[in-house]
Amino acid sequence: MKAEQILRLPSMPAASPSYPMGPYRFINREFMIVTYETDPELLRQVVPEPLEPNPESHVLYEWIRMPDSSGFGDYTESGVVIPCFFNGEPINFTAQMYLDDEPPISAGREIWGFPKKYAHPKLEVCSDTLTGTLHYAGQLVAMGTMAYKHQVAPGGVEAQAKGMTRTSCNLKIIPDVDGSPKICQLVGYNLTDITVKGVWLSPARLHLIPHVNAPAADLPIKKIVGGKHFISDLTLPHGRVLFDYVKDQAP
Amino acid sequence: MKKSEVLNLPSMPLQSPTFPRGPYRFFKRQYMVISYVTDADAIREALPEPLEPEGDTVSVQWLDLPDGEGFGAYSAAAQVIPCTFRGERCNFISQMYVDNTPPLAGGREIWGYPMKFGSAALAVTGDTLTGTLEYATERVAVGTMVYKHDAFRTDYSRERELLARTQVTLKLIPDIDGTPAIAQLVAVKFEDFSVKGAWTGRARLELVPAVNCPLADLPVHKVVGGLHMVTDMTLPYGKVMHDYLAK
Repeated sequence: MKAEQILRLPSMPAASPSYPMGPYRFINREFMIVTYETDPELLRQVVPEPLEPNPESHVLYEWIRMPDSSGFGDYTESGVVIPCFFNGEPINFTAQMYLDDEPPISAGREIWGFPKKYAHPKLEVCSDTLTGTLHYAGQLVAMGTMAYKHQVAPGGVEAQAKGMTRTSCNLKIIPDVDGSPKICQLVGYNLTDITVKGVWLSPARLHLIPHVNAPAADLPIKKIVGGKHFISDLTLPHGRVLFDYVKDQAP
Repeated sequence: MKKSEVLNLPSMPLQSPTFPRGPYRFFKRQYMVISYVTDADAIREALPEPLEPEGDTVSVQWLDLPDGEGFGAYSAAAQVIPCTFRGERCNFISQMYVDNTPPLAGGREIWGYPMKFGSAALAVTGDTLTGTLEYATERVAVGTMVYKHDAFRTDYSRERELLARTQVTLKLIPDIDGTPAIAQLVAVKFEDFSVKGAWTGRARLELVPAVNCPLADLPVHKVVGGLHMVTDMTLPYGKVMHDYLAK
């Protein structure tokens, strides 16, 4: 294999790259998000500067079913998202993510710095209950339940699609071959071409079990704020560097 | 979390880094290596320049790793292509499959080990040392080897030479805009290794064509033989041998 072919490879391994070049298109991507209030001091500890956590100390615990994802396949994800501020602008920080498919784990970590680990999440309708579970290393670590389509969300699909254009960010860390930080950045991205097919609000409950390698319960549940269920098509494009911990001056 | 603490994190995510800092010590790391003759043109195509092929023999390896410090207990399978770099004999790791996130993510992100998620198993089944690999629920490789037919051997110099040989990986990490941020050949040399036992013998290998786990792209023309080996070793950080982005 020649050097110019190597520089055109989208990812490792050269013999069969884990993921193709982006952007990536998702069809019928189904979300269940349970919003809860947590401890403000614990929240401050897990949000990297220069991000500021939201003053209400809200945390979003999510399940996402992705049956048709270009380049990635059919998989399910679960994780923790923290609404934050960056230079005064609202931004969603992805703190933890667990999924059952290697290409989006590798692409997620290596391109955008999504903090992804391999685990077994599930999102399904069980009789009257929209049910999310997450098993990590054989143990249940999260269970979310939501009543099924009790109320169409105010503003409907248009308001939900607009809300989903909000900037999201990740902390991307890639070590150098000697262990020193090669890439250490806050990375921002915005979803594009969003079509929301339905959005519902319903009562919800969430149960988080302490686990060292999937520590969602480190942000304890003080109060459930509510549950949201929606289905959308969307595109995940490449992103941009918001802050570089190696290069940018600390204020 | 403060900016200075962010720079001290060994890996993502911030709240529970996937892998700690190295080096990484392995105990009772067990190998089954099946060497076979394949197509010389296919080797040239699979081997990144400036690496040069060394003969037409490659191997598929199974690894049982019951005690990997920082990583846990897991299994792996790999395809390895002997080659040379400026005259030095090396082993290029062309494909690798594991069933555990810390070595998968750490392997890719630190050294560029070409790891994907696959379910490998290495077990003694009756009279047979058996390696299997499943990818996306399908069986893609089966290796079988006789069990310890040359017991009482004490000269492990060939096995030590094999473990001492430089391993080479092709590390590719994209930048956030999709352009290459890292494109390097990385050299890794095991340290503090000891051979607890090693056996050679007859072996067979079946590779099934699969697009996302293409071991069979280096077809099996003739099996040369099997090596079964148990070792303790340390996996240290690596060195950049060649940088494709250097001007």
